[in-house]
Amino acid sequence: MYKAIRSESFTAWAFMAPGLLFLAVFTFWPIIYGIPLSFTDYSVITETHYVGLDNFTRAFKDHNFLVSLWNSLVYVLIVPVIQLLSILMAILVNSRIPGVKMFRAAYYIPVVTSMVAVALIWSWLLGNNGVVNYLLLKAGVLSEQVSWLSTSSTALYVLMFITMWKGLGYYMMLYLAGLQGIPADLYEAARVDGAGPLRMIVHVTIPLLRPHILFCTLISVMGAIRVFDEVYILTKGGPGTSTLTSSVYIFQKGLEQFNFGYASALGLIVSVLVGALSVLVFRLNRKGGVNSY
Amino acid sequence: MKTCLRYVITYVLLILLALFMMGPFLWLLSVSLMPGRNVFANPPAILPTFIAFDNYVQVWEFMEFPRYIMNTVVITLLGVVFNIVLSCLTAYPLAVFRFKGRNLVFTLLISTMVIPSATAMIVHYLTIQAFNLGNTFLGVVLPAAVSVFNIFLMRQTFLGIPVDIRDSGKMDGASEFRIFVQLVMPLVKPGIAVIGLLEVMAFWNNFLWPIVVLDDPQKYPLAAALTYLNGQFSYNFGWIAAGTMISVLPIIIVFLFTQKYYMEGIAGAIKG
Repeated sequence: MYKAIRSESFTAWAFMAPGLLFLAVFTFWPIIYGIPLSFTDYSVITETHYVGLDNFTRAFKDHNFLVSLWNSLVYVLIVPVIQLLSILMAILVNSRIPGVKMFRAAYYIPVVTSMVAVALIWSWLLGNNGVVNYLLLKAGVLSEQVSWLSTSSTALYVLMFITMWKGLGYYMMLYLAGLQGIPADLYEAARVDGAGPLRMIVHVTIPLLRPHILFCTLISVMGAIRVFDEVYILTKGGPGTSTLTSSVYIFQKGLEQFNFGYASALGLIVSVLVGALSVLVFRLNRKGGVNSY
Repeated sequence: MKTCLRYVITYVLLILLALFMMGPFLWLLSVSLMPGRNVFANPPAILPTFIAFDNYVQVWEFMEFPRYIMNTVVITLLGVVFNIVLSCLTAYPLAVFRFKGRNLVFTLLISTMVIPSATAMIVHYLTIQAFNLGNTFLGVVLPAAVSVFNIFLMRQTFLGIPVDIRDSGKMDGASEFRIFVQLVMPLVKPGIAVIGLLEVMAFWNNFLWPIVVLDDPQKYPLAAALTYLNGQFSYNFGWIAAGTMISVLPIIIVFLFTQKYYMEGIAGAIKG
């Protein structure tokens, strides 16, 4: 018996070895190696020195870094909340009417296309003489053209809009899965009690979707912190620092200016903040009595 | 009467949303079919007055699309094969074997999901350089060769397989590896299809990491080439629109043909 278990253990490790090797090099190693790196001035160009806490004190005096943290925070506070719109989408595409599967697919297409393509399309639509300004002027919502992406006060919100637009379909699918798990007799019972569609949503659908709402909020928060592609392609953090998010700033410091040491320190600070945030969300998750994950 | 009204309202909302989600793509298609028109003309060109494929022909001749498509296909295939093989191998023992350290491995995997490393890309860059894989497709693929998410997804699938299968294989004297390949793997095809599709999308659309690793733009995949095209010909909207359509269409077609598996897989992933 003992021998059997031991050989099973050997086989198990043999199976896992290749995968774990890759994870060790490309998932665990970056986390570990980033820590000593952040106490040096490693930059490829000059000799590397140990600099103690210099990178960290520098970071908290670095105006751009603080701005980037703030922008990321704004992103995290706003985008996951707007994503809740996808619940309404899910309710709509959960109707049993002909052609509804076609709509599901249509809403999902932004999710499968590349952010490069999506960003390109929206940058045109949002241009000075673009379709969005044209339509809003025609409808009388605007009185003059707005350069959405090159105005400091609008650029970040435009990027948030694009992030949300691309993600809606994904969250819709997750909620749809949740909706299909709600027993039909609950709605039947509500109908017998004389509840209208809106009351059914508020009193039956939303409470039963809670595990899904928490899960989607969690991944949406993580996504909002890591947001990179759309910012990098469309504004590179500009105009000024109005759309600089922390991942873009770390990328600029690290892979554009090759300040690996400083960038690692920034990464470490952000990781700690994200870690704390996810523990918080997980805690809230547990309090809700949810064990979906 | 009441249900009829409900139908009408639902359809109106569905169509409005469809315009919101699909409108930008339809407009892109329309721009790509308009020869010699500027998207920023006033009023902006929304619908083509006549349809022509000039933009497609010209950008195809100019951009060496076959090369970029080949690059993308090679990178995507490598990425998908690595991910399927590695995540199946890693997930299988976690689902069916009883061994010391199983919980430790599992906890380690989960912890990487909770603590994302913003520095990962910098260390990946250094690692790839150290392995001498800079400017190679392997350098593009390896950092994403296996993901914790896929391991979870496959573990979930393996858990759904009856224990008897492994026992009956043992009875016949098959080795663990043979049981895995010949008896177990055929039963988890749907799970494999799902991680395969997820990775097809991920590798097809990846642009940043390939730009970081590849010094030679000739090796760029489509999404990266597109940013290159946009930088070089930002005045020629028709071309860029056509190029974008060419890069986006294959993945949309793959999605439309496989959406059933794909959506079930996404939904199954959170039940995990």
